Amino acid sequence: MTSAMEIYQLLPKTNCKECGESTCMAFGVALLSGSRKFTECPPLMKEEKYIDSKQKLEEILKPLEGAHETGLIIHDELCSGCGNCVVACPVDVANDPHSSGRGFGPSNDKVIFRVVDGKVKAANIKECRRFGKDKILCRACIDPCPTEAIEFV
Amino acid sequence: MPVDVGKFIKAPDYDIKVITYRDVFQAVACEEDYTGDECREMSAVIVLDAAEMKRMGFHEGKNVRLTSKWGSVVVMIKKSPREEQKGLGFMVNSPWSNALVSDEMLNGIPEFKDIEVKITGSNDEITSIKELFML
Amino acid sequence: MTEMVTWTCTGCALLCEDIQVRVDNNRIEQVEHACLKGKARIFGCKHVAVPAVNGAGVSIDDAINEAARILKGAKNPLLYGWSNSTSEAQMAGIELARTLGGVLDSTSSFCQGITINEIIKGTIPSCTLEEVREQADVMIFWGANPMSSHPRHLSRYSYFPRGELRQRGYEEDRTAISIDVWQSRTAKICKDKFYRIPPGGDAEFMRGLMDGLSGRVPKLSFDFDVKRILELAAVLKKAEFGVIFAGLGLVYSMKEDFGLLSEFMDTLNRFSNYSLIPMAGHFNMRGFNQNLYDETGYIYRVKFVDGKAASGVEFSVVEQIKHGADAVLVVGSDPLASLPASISRRLKDIPVILIDPCMNLTSQVADVTIPCSTSGIEVGGTAVRMDGKSMEISPLVQGVNMSDEMVIKRIIEEVG
Repeated sequence: MTSAMEIYQLLPKTNCKECGESTCMAFGVALLSGSRKFTECPPLMKEEKYIDSKQKLEEILKPLEGAHETGLIIHDELCSGCGNCVVACPVDVANDPHSSGRGFGPSNDKVIFRVVDGKVKAANIKECRRFGKDKILCRACIDPCPTEAIEFV
Repeated sequence: MPVDVGKFIKAPDYDIKVITYRDVFQAVACEEDYTGDECREMSAVIVLDAAEMKRMGFHEGKNVRLTSKWGSVVVMIKKSPREEQKGLGFMVNSPWSNALVSDEMLNGIPEFKDIEVKITGSNDEITSIKELFML
Repeated sequence: MTEMVTWTCTGCALLCEDIQVRVDNNRIEQVEHACLKGKARIFGCKHVAVPAVNGAGVSIDDAINEAARILKGAKNPLLYGWSNSTSEAQMAGIELARTLGGVLDSTSSFCQGITINEIIKGTIPSCTLEEVREQADVMIFWGANPMSSHPRHLSRYSYFPRGELRQRGYEEDRTAISIDVWQSRTAKICKDKFYRIPPGGDAEFMRGLMDGLSGRVPKLSFDFDVKRILELAAVLKKAEFGVIFAGLGLVYSMKEDFGLLSEFMDTLNRFSNYSLIPMAGHFNMRGFNQNLYDETGYIYRVKFVDGKAASGVEFSVVEQIKHGADAVLVVGSDPLASLPASISRRLKDIPVILIDPCMNLTSQVADVTIPCSTSGIEVGGTAVRMDGKSMEISPLVQGVNMSDEMVIKRIIEEVG
């Protein structure tokens, strides 16, 4: 799981404040939460010595894209498209009881999980039980995954 | 000229049983292209228990030679994330594991899954598919 | 023109019939609901086969003629593969073997054939995957790891779906058990119901469970907490509808004493209702066994003499390639990749004819290569699912090659 510390280690660590944050650590936390982009760090973008760090940051931040509402991340390279999450997700069962809930591929667009070209894709993230004011720490898609391809940050 | 003593000392070998298993990612890579790098990188691997690796003096990412009465292959070591039973090594079912399997069978079924081999550290390259079949 | 097609997947013997494929102008654009294996099957291999004789490109007619010449000249031809072919192609294969007086065997010979034999002959009870989905409450994945071999097994049928009698889903209504030598991806899902046994310990563990079921204290030669066996026996006893999914780990370990498996099933059925389903791999492995059984009374390993079939271990593919066959026709299989090298090496010394849509390892030693269309994608037909259910498969796109069935029928014309 990506941590703020891991991100911080790749930043210049000079606390130059050029980004507007008071420290590099604060900027790192903002990157993790998705409120800032790494391109907003001027030294990282300008200075040659940070080229490797910039590349690594890009790699580790990529899976976080689009994951910020619930923190849901799907690691594409680990997914075998088994569909366990599709069928185990209580939201999918409630919104598509006769297909997803019965083990078939989803029959409508209201589900969260759907397997496309052998890999699971997430949509309707706002429906996730980890989201909104009555949120709970649901693990119904994480535990059934045989390859640890799903995580929440 | 100083004599390289190490050259004459045979690397120690250990008896282990190779257990084969299936992996969906390797199966897909190999079905697509058995001669490709991806298939070899995912197949020519032996998974070992951490304590067993320590006992035998092996390190993750290093090569080992596996030798049975029927064949010999060089594969890379991967450390198991879990504690495994002693004396076992795990290989995904592939031409590399099949290179070690006996031509004797019981009821017309070869012993694909429970293969007795000697394992020893090796500086040789990972065995290529061409070498496996002397193509 | 873009259209969405509902398709039955031929990626494995689960034959998932709910796949949605977007086809545009005879090109497959996208596939939904299929797992990674299905996706790989539908998008095809990297290197397609081309007609060749001794490494040189020839016309398809010349390749077929050369194949017929080799087979006709052979004293003991072996016709092998068949699990990636439709039942129609398999029937043509049976006819070719009969015409030639050859040996016929399939990949099931060193896979699930031994289990399927017991089921077809009725010595081991079985059930359908639909029954599993609607009713099963206890399941054992024994030496089986469907999360790698049949990725949608747990989500479509065995564990995760809500069934008629299992409305509360997997959390409350189903118990999944894994018996294996290591914690496979399937065992991980079974959590504390994973029982780790030593290699080859299956028969002994099975006897231990039978003791536990019958109220005796199990004695095992290896270190295992007897209390856990007794707990497991209690879970098995309480089942309303139990299923054993027999994987290759179990089959290979039991090959010396397969009778014990039916004894185990009998014991379980004294307490509850238990079935066994073989985890057949290739999409129509079971079809071959069923079709040959209907034709000859044997499920595999047959030799035809004067049109009549005899069966025996001496006609198994491994025995035949090791010593026996003087020419081999391989249909939709890759023996060089899947057999022990100590045996498959002999394929370099005897004539090999390969009928396949793709180049594979066996292509490297094939004397004759005949490309064919991909079954279930470019050509339709019938296939039998792992549980014995017969399914119709429609083609998705038009291919450039003729089907394996057509190629074999052409060979029959030439040799007949």
